[in-house]
Amino acid sequence: MDSKSSACSSPNPNPTLGPSKLMLAFRFLRALSLVRRTTPASSRTCRGRRIERAAYASMAYTAGASRAWSRAVLRRLHHRARRRAVAPRRLSTTAGNRAEALRRLVPGGGGMDYCTLLEETADYIKCLSMQVELMQGIVDSASSYGP
Amino acid sequence: MQHGSREVRGGMAASALHDDHGPQQIQNPGLHDDFFDQMLSGLPSAWPDLGNPKSPWDASAAQKLFRIDLAGKPPDESQPEAATEGLRYASYDEATMLASRLSQSQGSGGSSPTGEAMMLQLNNHHILPAVGLSRTAVGGGVGESGLLPLPLTLGSCGAADPRIIVETPRDEMDPPFESPDHNGGEELYNGLGGSIRAAQPGTGQHFHHPQLNRQQGASMSSQNYGGAAAPAGVGQGPAASASSGGGTPPQKQKVRARRGQATDPHSIAERLRRERIAERMKALQELVPNGNKTDKASMLDEIIDYVKFLQLQVKVLSMSRLGGAAAVAPLVADVSTEGPGGRAGANGAAAGGNNDSLRATEHRVAKMMEEDMGSAMQYLQGKGLCLMPISLASAISSAACRPSAGGLVPAPPAPPTSAAAAAAESPAASSSASALTVQSAAADATAPKR
Repeated sequence: MDSKSSACSSPNPNPTLGPSKLMLAFRFLRALSLVRRTTPASSRTCRGRRIERAAYASMAYTAGASRAWSRAVLRRLHHRARRRAVAPRRLSTTAGNRAEALRRLVPGGGGMDYCTLLEETADYIKCLSMQVELMQGIVDSASSYGP
Repeated sequence: MQHGSREVRGGMAASALHDDHGPQQIQNPGLHDDFFDQMLSGLPSAWPDLGNPKSPWDASAAQKLFRIDLAGKPPDESQPEAATEGLRYASYDEATMLASRLSQSQGSGGSSPTGEAMMLQLNNHHILPAVGLSRTAVGGGVGESGLLPLPLTLGSCGAADPRIIVETPRDEMDPPFESPDHNGGEELYNGLGGSIRAAQPGTGQHFHHPQLNRQQGASMSSQNYGGAAAPAGVGQGPAASASSGGGTPPQKQKVRARRGQATDPHSIAERLRRERIAERMKALQELVPNGNKTDKASMLDEIIDYVKFLQLQVKVLSMSRLGGAAAVAPLVADVSTEGPGGRAGANGAAAGGNNDSLRATEHRVAKMMEEDMGSAMQYLQGKGLCLMPISLASAISSAACRPSAGGLVPAPPAPPTSAAAAAAESPAASSSASALTVQSAAADATAPKR
């Protein structure tokens, strides 16, 4: 499933302004077309998962290597390309382990202090919502079939 | 006073060498020399014992304090030329005041370490972005405007900064600096501390003018913001002991507690950490919808839920991207399992005989969706069917079974098509996402996570 990682690894042109929607759209659409080309139509769930991986990869590449979560995402993707890793378990939050639950959710959250975790969460949320917006836009434009 | 400026430069270099624990040095040593030359060119005997071994510290401290003063000016960076010009003229006076004050304090002791400490504190705490600004804005004229944000953040950061500044410099100053005598330091510190304290109610004016008492009576002393500072400066002994909780000998470099705050470095670091966390939580609050929770725990819960929601949305959207194919397959399976139950709950108009044909239609539509969404929709509409979210379909079918919705919602096919609707993208894409969410979340529960 390394087709997504071929979505280019050029550095973020404007690191100070944060991730740009245009770069994200460019990367994701390219990865998407690659997926559609390479995956056989029969394996539907497989394609869905590949697209999801493409989404995370394009998100991480757009965010750049300056963010701990993007590095963790790319690390995870590259490792998964070689071997099937176990799925992270998602426990519900209880009073005691809210911070732990957040660490599980945010990639790379295990190895940082609470302060950095909050910062990474904010950036991760920004990028995730950008990605969701993009995908929703694609779906909307694709589903506008004529009468 | 050319020799004065040279001394200043030397002092700057020396202080730069010693600033190993204050990594953010506000200015490079050689940068503002020309500017400072201009400043000091007309100074009267304001820099007396510059040959004195202590004087490099004084000079550098004054310089640094001077920088603070400059930075206290309103940030007029749109016209750097004019601003720096004005700054030069104004700061000329301030430089003289500073110099006089230092000379006054020098009689009682070196004031530089506290000034240094003050600068270092300013550097270290909360001013990092401004420092970054100032560091990049190099050059004589521009350097000053780059420093402008510095003390503004000082005041705007609220009570934290002044406390920190007031409290910690002694501790940090002790190890690296040989501070021979700090009486004058106390006094100067007092003055500036008074200015800081007085700055709290004010906004950007706090370092506008240093509270320096000229021996000769300065023209600017009236402008001295130090109505609090001047008496503080004058009465150094009582001021020092008054501000501290207990009597601290003027010679000793001791952190002055501020209104019962702990002076321990640990608790200060802890407070810093808490403030940083509060900052980040505030930023997160703006990102997360419903982020108006005041309780930290519920705010964290909101954040966690929102992240989970966004990740789920990505998953769902990535599955629906394929023209609904991936989403349809598990959903069709679901429909077949819960078909009887659904139909049992459906309105009575649903004839049993229709079920098989409906199911065939459904499968056909699913296959068509894989190839071309548009043709699938047209096929459905040709059949008099439509796609709709499950919630809407169930609401309609439970409310009424009259086929009166303009041919759009025929009752019999409502249950199975609602399931099919859940599988594909409906015109109301957002609501389809919710239906998809419901279905695919259930369908995907056993599927391995990414």
